Amino acid sequence: MDIPLPQTAHEHGKFRIFMQVAMFLAVVTGIEIVIIFVPVSDFVQYSVLAFLSVIKFLAVIFYFMHLRWDKAFCTLLFFIGLILGGGTLGALVSLFWEDRTSATADAVAIAPIEVESVKLV
Amino acid sequence: MSHAAAGAIDHHHDPSTSTGIPNKKLFMWAFLASDCMFFGSLISTHLVYRLNPIEGNPGPTDLFDIELTSFSTFILLMSSLMMALSVSAIQKGNISSTRRCLLTTMFFGLIFLGCQVYEFSHFVHEKGLTLSSSIFGSTFYVLTGTHGCHVAVGVLWLALMYVRTFKPAGGVSSMAWLGKTLLHSAALVLTMVLLVDLTLGLVHAIAEDGLSGAAFAHFAGSHVVSLAATVVTVFGLKVLGKDRGAVDFGEAHAIDVESMGLYWHFVDIVWIVIFTVVYLVEYVPLI
Repeated sequence: MDIPLPQTAHEHGKFRIFMQVAMFLAVVTGIEIVIIFVPVSDFVQYSVLAFLSVIKFLAVIFYFMHLRWDKAFCTLLFFIGLILGGGTLGALVSLFWEDRTSATADAVAIAPIEVESVKLV
Repeated sequence: MSHAAAGAIDHHHDPSTSTGIPNKKLFMWAFLASDCMFFGSLISTHLVYRLNPIEGNPGPTDLFDIELTSFSTFILLMSSLMMALSVSAIQKGNISSTRRCLLTTMFFGLIFLGCQVYEFSHFVHEKGLTLSSSIFGSTFYVLTGTHGCHVAVGVLWLALMYVRTFKPAGGVSSMAWLGKTLLHSAALVLTMVLLVDLTLGLVHAIAEDGLSGAAFAHFAGSHVVSLAATVVTVFGLKVLGKDRGAVDFGEAHAIDVESMGLYWHFVDIVWIVIFTVVYLVEYVPLI
């Protein structure tokens, strides 16, 4: 395993890369906080927040977690879990998003029902 | 040996395994992939109930303190930087720099935990939001609490790794090493508890009096004992952490620090998602 590396200079350059990534993350977080108070359309706010979060996420996994320098299999393995987790999230949210719109329409027609509290023994 | 043959190991590829990836790293990536699904389901649950709010749910923007959450987000991001530098340092065989970076990462992690403890305590005692008071409370505490537990496990792992960097290289009786390790660990845990207590006190003082001199005076006045105890334990850590010759920890152990780093960064990326999905979007009207 003790293979001499031609990449020592590249290892030394990592400090600079890490600092730049950290500063970038701090700035992006600042933009995220500012954007929620900026009077632009909701769609723009949601889109910008989603985009910036994805950028931050990718910056951390590819630079801080070294995916950029590791074998592609690590990226593949992680993205399998990520896609399954993200897919579950997307599926559930879209499913109940439909439910929400139909429930809102029903709520106009149906009066609220009082639910009797259930006592657990 | 700490500095011997620094930079002689390829930390990204291991020809001795069939995949070419160190087994510990492969295991950690597989674990993190499974944890993605775990957090995916928790975030989904929270979002589904936020999309279909049930009567009695409190308005999250009335509860949240976005300044505090933004601060703790920034702190967690910076802890990720320190973790990355720690991995970089051990890959060059620089033990003292690794120790400093590990300690700083731990320190930032504890500040994050202190802020979270303050937030939870504030929600429960002043806003009346408990685990069972509303669906929002249930999903919020389960999601952010699970993340907090991950951070706490990460801090504990960092502490163990920090103590491990002092393991002497041969010729030392195991009892002496065990005794010193226990003492070192006790000092570290005590410092951690005190730091969380101080963070909690400081955040509370700032919340009460605003960011002013009065807040710091109030904090110092009510935490004299904790401050003095922290000074003593930090001094103890400095004494215990004195370099006493060769250690059985170096560049060859970089994979252990890197695996821990992967876990820590994962905790950070989960928070990136939680910060946006749970906190920030509450300030944007629902489409």
